[in-house]
Amino acid sequence: MVTPSRVGKTILRYGALVIVLVITAAPLVWMIRVALLPPGASTAISDLLTMNFAIEAFRSVISSESIGRAFFNSALVGLVVTVANVLFCFSVGYALARRNTLPVRLIFWSVVGVLMIPAYITIIPLYVLMVESGLYDSYWALTLPWLVSPIGIFLVKQYLESIPTSMEEAARVDGASDWRIMFTVVMPLCKPALSVLAIQAFFTNWNSFLFPFILTSREELRTLPVALALLQGHQAIDWQRLMAGSTIAVLPVLILFLFLQRHIVEGITAGAVKQ
Amino acid sequence: MKLARSTAVILVMPWVATFAAFWLFPILYSIFLGFTDYELLRPTYDWVGLDNFRALFADQDFLSAIKNTAIFVVGTIPVTTALALLMALLVNKQFPGRDFFRASFFIPSITSMVVVALIFTTLYSRGGYVALLAEMAGVATPANGFLNDSRTALYSIMAMDIWMSSGYYMLIFLAGLKSIPVELYESAEINGAGALRQFWSITLPLLRPTALFIIVINTIKSFQVFVEILVMTKGKFDTSTMVYHIYETGLTTQFRFGYASAAAYILFCIIALFSIVQFILMRRRESW
Repeated sequence: MVTPSRVGKTILRYGALVIVLVITAAPLVWMIRVALLPPGASTAISDLLTMNFAIEAFRSVISSESIGRAFFNSALVGLVVTVANVLFCFSVGYALARRNTLPVRLIFWSVVGVLMIPAYITIIPLYVLMVESGLYDSYWALTLPWLVSPIGIFLVKQYLESIPTSMEEAARVDGASDWRIMFTVVMPLCKPALSVLAIQAFFTNWNSFLFPFILTSREELRTLPVALALLQGHQAIDWQRLMAGSTIAVLPVLILFLFLQRHIVEGITAGAVKQ
Repeated sequence: MKLARSTAVILVMPWVATFAAFWLFPILYSIFLGFTDYELLRPTYDWVGLDNFRALFADQDFLSAIKNTAIFVVGTIPVTTALALLMALLVNKQFPGRDFFRASFFIPSITSMVVVALIFTTLYSRGGYVALLAEMAGVATPANGFLNDSRTALYSIMAMDIWMSSGYYMLIFLAGLKSIPVELYESAEINGAGALRQFWSITLPLLRPTALFIIVINTIKSFQVFVEILVMTKGKFDTSTMVYHIYETGLTTQFRFGYASAAAYILFCIIALFSIVQFILMRRRESW
């Protein structure tokens, strides 16, 4: 039944939604629009609203040595860290879920403890450690500390504890080894948790700035966020190229998000609901 | 089903090694460093006891970094939490276009902080769109842009952070809303409770654990505000925060590792204290 008050409520709801949408989307739309302006165009409203599009800024940014290299670095580091996280978080999470002895419980507490520790307080000792060990300013510094994450271990452990062990036991009765069971029986069962953690690992790494920034100094090792932040520090700031670079940095995440929305939402809420 | 000990030892190795090398060691090492006068360019260093801590609390820059961090935490968290709840309520029930709105609200939080900071640097600049909007609303704008004025810089960065993170906490609120049994609303309906009454007596009390969880993780995150400060103001115009101060004293010009480690340790204690208090509140959720 359509009543006047109901119509009023719907209008109110959509009105509020549209206001929030405009506030949320405007800065990102602005970024893309500026990136697509022809060289020399101003960013006045009258220029933004015309159908004046050009891809010069993108072309110039992609062909520039620093951003192209940074894109490659971000992709490489992101890929390595993601694959390692899937493998290692699964391995550790599996052990924590299927063996309940005191040492294993202690290890679990170390995982929970690190989850609660603010990572940024370790910047000085981590910097000193990397310099002293000779890993500073290398791909090792960009990957080694992040190959296995506490949140990933936590996710796998919780997930494995929620599924029955009967299949593993059946495989054991059939004479399969621990390793065989782990990779051929348990890992496929764990796929939902592993895809959530893969996405999370990739996103976190792709957007990460502070540690890549302080643990490297050579231009060849810059990741995208670092390269963009330093590009901005340069004398004459060319906003079109800066926004084109930013768009390039956001695009992979945006595309992945559109395809994998469900997994991403699950990953974020999983941690929350368990509390 | 129990794993053999030998297998388990191998399986947990990646974490044990990572934990020891990149968490336990740095944390213990930074406590030690905090009591020394270690600097990058000095060949030796000495144990100086509490000197660093004493110097820090007499250091005007550090004190203003604490003040700015406090303003940031206290100013953003209530607003972010309230907006996140509002957004969650707007997109909770099924309606045409719901998933589109949900996704759009969430997207800022998966964008890189550096990118967001760059976008807002241009929007906040002199003659930028925020100034334009403010002028249209008849509000006076700072002559050199919002980020180049100590009266507006920190608040502008805070507003950006709220813009960026509300969608993320909206998702967590949505999970909390989903866990409220529908029967509660049905019986409230039967007893003649209106929408507002249902919100105050059912939704809000049952969302308290979720809200507290959000406040805890946002507190840990907000105390560490750094990237946006570095990209947008480099700590100028009264925007330096605790992590920025650690970075500036420890990893630029003088590389005062000892001094910066002491500052990091103070920050650690503050965050730990807040987390413990919030966890005690969380445990007593019934009486809270």
